[in-house]
Amino acid sequence: MIRPLIFFFSFLLLLVSNSAEQGHEDRSGLAIMLHCVFILSDTGEIMLEKHWMGHQVDRSICAWFWKQAHPSERQETIQVPTVVAAPTYYVLHIVREGITFLACAKTEMPPLLGIEFLGRVADVLTEYLGGLNEDLVKDNFVIIYQLLDEMMDHGFPLTTEPSILKEMILPANLVSRVISVVTGTSTTLSSTLPSTTSSSVPWRASGIKHAKNEVYFDLVEEMDATVNKDGFLARCEVYGEVLGSSRLSGMPDVSLTFTNPSILNDVSFHPCVRIQAWESNQKLSFVPPDGSFKLMSYRIKNLKNTPIYVRPQFSSGGGVVTVTVMVGIRANVGKPVDNITLQLVLPPSVASSDLTANHGSVLPNHTTKVTTWTIGRIPKDKAPCLSGKLQLEAGLERLREYPTFLVGFKIMGVALSGLRSDRVDINRVDYSAYRGFRAVTRAGNYEIRS
Amino acid sequence: MNADNRKGELVDLKSQLRQLAGSRQPGVEDIKRELYKKVISYMTIGIDVSSLFSEMVMCSATSDLVLKKMCYLYVGNYARGHPELALLTINFLQKDCHDDDPMIRGLALRSLCSLRVKNLVEYLVGPLRSGLKDGNGYVRTVAAMGVLKLYHIAPSQCTDNEFPAMLRALLLNDPDAQVVANCLCALQEIYAAEVNISPETALRDREHLLSKPVIYSLLNRIKDFTEWAQCLVLDMVSKYIPSDSDESFDMMNILEDRLQHTNSAVVLATIKVFLHLTISMADVHQQVYERIKAPLLTLVNSGSAEQTYAVLSHLHLLVLRAPALFSNDYKHFYCRYSDPTYVKKLKLEMLTAVANESNTYEIVTELSEYAANVDVAIARESIRAVGKIALQQYDVNAIVDRLLQFLEMEKDYVTAETLVLVKDLLRKYPQWSHDCIAVVGSVSSKAVTEPKAKAALIWMLGEYAYDMPDAPYILEGFVQNWTEENSAEVRLELLTAITKIFFKRPPESIKMLGAALSAGLADAHQDVHDRALLYYRLLQQGVEVAERVVNPAKQAVSVFADTQSSEIKDRIFDEFNSLSVVYQQPSYMFLDKEVRGPIELVEDTGLLPMGPTTTDDVLPSQLVDANDNDLLLGPSDKEDSIVAASNGSHAYNGPDLSGFDSLSAPQRSQSAAFPTPTPQVATTPAATSTSLLDFDDLLGLNTYDVSTPAPSSLKLKAKPSLDPQAFQRKWGQLAVASTVDHTLANVAALSTPQPLIRHMQANLVEVMASGGKAPTFKFFFYAQAADSPPTSGFFLVELIVNTSTASSQVKIKADDASLAPHFQELFLATLGSFGF
Repeated sequence: MIRPLIFFFSFLLLLVSNSAEQGHEDRSGLAIMLHCVFILSDTGEIMLEKHWMGHQVDRSICAWFWKQAHPSERQETIQVPTVVAAPTYYVLHIVREGITFLACAKTEMPPLLGIEFLGRVADVLTEYLGGLNEDLVKDNFVIIYQLLDEMMDHGFPLTTEPSILKEMILPANLVSRVISVVTGTSTTLSSTLPSTTSSSVPWRASGIKHAKNEVYFDLVEEMDATVNKDGFLARCEVYGEVLGSSRLSGMPDVSLTFTNPSILNDVSFHPCVRIQAWESNQKLSFVPPDGSFKLMSYRIKNLKNTPIYVRPQFSSGGGVVTVTVMVGIRANVGKPVDNITLQLVLPPSVASSDLTANHGSVLPNHTTKVTTWTIGRIPKDKAPCLSGKLQLEAGLERLREYPTFLVGFKIMGVALSGLRSDRVDINRVDYSAYRGFRAVTRAGNYEIRS
Repeated sequence: MNADNRKGELVDLKSQLRQLAGSRQPGVEDIKRELYKKVISYMTIGIDVSSLFSEMVMCSATSDLVLKKMCYLYVGNYARGHPELALLTINFLQKDCHDDDPMIRGLALRSLCSLRVKNLVEYLVGPLRSGLKDGNGYVRTVAAMGVLKLYHIAPSQCTDNEFPAMLRALLLNDPDAQVVANCLCALQEIYAAEVNISPETALRDREHLLSKPVIYSLLNRIKDFTEWAQCLVLDMVSKYIPSDSDESFDMMNILEDRLQHTNSAVVLATIKVFLHLTISMADVHQQVYERIKAPLLTLVNSGSAEQTYAVLSHLHLLVLRAPALFSNDYKHFYCRYSDPTYVKKLKLEMLTAVANESNTYEIVTELSEYAANVDVAIARESIRAVGKIALQQYDVNAIVDRLLQFLEMEKDYVTAETLVLVKDLLRKYPQWSHDCIAVVGSVSSKAVTEPKAKAALIWMLGEYAYDMPDAPYILEGFVQNWTEENSAEVRLELLTAITKIFFKRPPESIKMLGAALSAGLADAHQDVHDRALLYYRLLQQGVEVAERVVNPAKQAVSVFADTQSSEIKDRIFDEFNSLSVVYQQPSYMFLDKEVRGPIELVEDTGLLPMGPTTTDDVLPSQLVDANDNDLLLGPSDKEDSIVAASNGSHAYNGPDLSGFDSLSAPQRSQSAAFPTPTPQVATTPAATSTSLLDFDDLLGLNTYDVSTPAPSSLKLKAKPSLDPQAFQRKWGQLAVASTVDHTLANVAALSTPQPLIRHMQANLVEVMASGGKAPTFKFFFYAQAADSPPTSGFFLVELIVNTSTASSQVKIKADDASLAPHFQELFLATLGSFGF
């Protein structure tokens, strides 16, 4: 009999050969070492690969991953967690806009470091290429190679701040522009390089100049809520971000205050924010990076109400289910609620559906069994209502699994949590700048179980 | 594009580049740029453009930065494969290292260090030395990392030139934080690798790195570092042991605001520091949990899906360790419709863990909603979760209500899971029998199809026959369908239940008992047959005797064996912020080797790297198995456990991910080929192998001549016998007698290990273990010299075959090293004759 004892020999050998190391718990060297990054298209094709550790990680790892991630042809989304252990490497991946960023590591490492790094790669590419899709990646491979080269060296992340990277590598459109203007001369940017890397403010280069000085802040809130079968609000939270967009010359010192900071449950900040100032007087004080950045994110828990209500009713018998869904405004938040959509995910046991609405449009998708009801804004004169019948598969009397509704909406001009900013100051500069502040609330994961 | 076209284009490119090489015309840079771009794009899509190497280098004299970068990229990609051509690049790279532009100096130095060609190391030392002293931070940053690269290629050159000492000086004094970070990174790696070479100095150096002044100098400027460098520093700080609690508090004060960083990697690294600093301060530890809870909960819900899962996995550890802390935050673990199944599973476990008397009602209500989930796996898991909570808590009414609801859903898998759950509940809390039995009584036995659920139902019918008037009649139905019942588990349970019911309600069940026992005695399944016989004979001894054995008074089960072991709870200290947390396996179950010392210069040929690092490159799943604590079991037990493991698929998140399939394949195919081994040959591995041999001969599968294996003076024993433990011991003790690499054209067609194994066995070389997947297979063979005593004269061989490159690597160990060369000759000859 032949037994696959191979593994346990190998394990033993490992013990023998590494006994010295194991003796003192050898973990002291932090191997933040991503061996490589592969960028894959939505069909799993390798569009670009970058290796940092001198030797090439074989491409077959991507095929392996793709097979694991899509166990059946039918599944379009990736079915494996973000970290998996392949036979020879740990494989980390993220997906952005259908593009898969895949990294390999050979040793233990902090997982979030890898995931955050990949996320940053995706962000930087999006910013450089003005979007992220297969064509953009394939057309701009030279830029991407340059970026990856500066973002990581020998498997260890270097700088991922877009504003610094732009000092070293010109975005694609700029390159062509510069070339056309300055024909025949080199496009090196050496004169600006020294200042950035030794800057005391690592996220901002010195000597930035803008013809028009302006800074905008967007308060973006997403509401996550779950309403259970009995109509109770099982959970309701708000995740918010303050996104900045700065085009300010010099080294401005910006401060931003909120009227009601006490409602924030947990906050995290961009490295530029002085945390001590926040802790002593709840004021955001910072030297902003140039361009767009995420200044702060926060969470506000236990909201008592959702801005709209959704009341589904199902009654079934004889293989037919009668459906009525009412939607309306629950609480006036001061601004109109726009873009209301309702996605009804039907259980597999539903054979066909016939649903109509008295307002908006209903679009059934028979393959995914998702019916989308686009309501838009709630009209003043009537309450939107979706009604109709579901036909169950033969042999079924009643509906056994109840569908879930996913609700979408958008409220411009107001943060649902009630968070408001009352002022933005810009100091240490001799110009006056335009300051803008906007708020928007969207439905995040808002689901209604029936 | 087909191959010919491509070839034509490459030739075309080559001549165009050649023409441009010396040209100084205006606009030539633009043409070059286009050509380079084309070359790089071929490289990107995986076409080998290494044939253009010399032309690319010839064109590299340019002042255009983008061109230069493309050239560096190209050179970096192909230099290692063409060391002789790489020499051509040294000249221009060295020149660029002295460029006025610091960016070019840095890039050139980086490319120079990335060539990784051993015999070019001498050209590296000078530029590195000046790079470390460069006035520009960017160049020093590159140089610091360059030192590590040099170390990986040629450790002694690196240390002889005092580079580590230079890095140490920069670490403390350089004004540029990124330089400091890269020095730190390089030094950590170098010292960790040096431990194997000169342990004493390396350990001293590492201690120095972890000393108070270094740690404090880094901590004091932590905000200057990039977020990634902060992670590096924080990781090092987590290994520092403060002298007293004041120091711990100081450090935590410095680092507290790192918990508010937007980068989740920084937050987790900070948390790890906090956990380590307070490991021996129980009260503070609790406060730390409180402090880190909010940022973790925010990260779980706010970031990308990938981040959510990774953070959730860490939170999972924390929840298992301190469930009470989260008893008010349970809503964060409610599943969302859009969560992938693996996230939902994790959340269910967390909900189960945090349930206590105050929140049980809400949690069980939430879990009950999932029972109606479209995702069947989650529906099942959630019912099991309700069961686990029920076993921990005391809210009997609420739970029984839920159970009723579940059964009312009339979905077969919900009913099945519920029955199993009720059975477990009753075993732990017999006092609830009244409430539960009422529920079970309403289940129609026809609706139950799953063996586990059937067994549970039958057990309850037998156990609570007094409370269920129609119990005997339900069981009778099962007996009548005896032959249609496929599961032995159910039939076993049925025998016991009927026997038990006979003690309680004899008049109604005596006939059925007779039918069941006779059916049992005729059963093809050994256990069922044996149990029926046992009961029959017990009953012959008298009913009381039988009842004492079959149905004694029971004690309630206090703790089920599968509940969480305390060991897992402590993982939080060892493994927080490691990959193993995310893929849900403790790291000791897995490959945890660190790449140290020279990074192997061999190219990966497939998923299974070969070469001298074999011990390190073991399939992870194999290690999982290695750690299964059944190392002491005999071979046949081992096999069972492997099969079980592959079914359980605990190594990965999906069953298909594991390497078990390929590893257990040998047995499966064998048992298929030889379906009825006679019992006496199945006892020892050696005996079986010979029987295999016989079968092979019988079937005419091999046409070799056994009597003339190879021209050698060494004769091998016909039936060497070596048990796995002895093999393992010997393999560990013996030194490698010889290592041979050679090409083997005849293995190219090998798709499973079987044919080669048969071939070797036919030539008196036995196999101990085999595994792997095309194109790489690994074997452990053994053989014994003909005239040696039973326990010595063994030869052990590790053979790695790569079918795609038609190469093999042989490692031989021998009891008697003097015989090793003979054996090697024999072995290679045998190997060479394979397939002919």
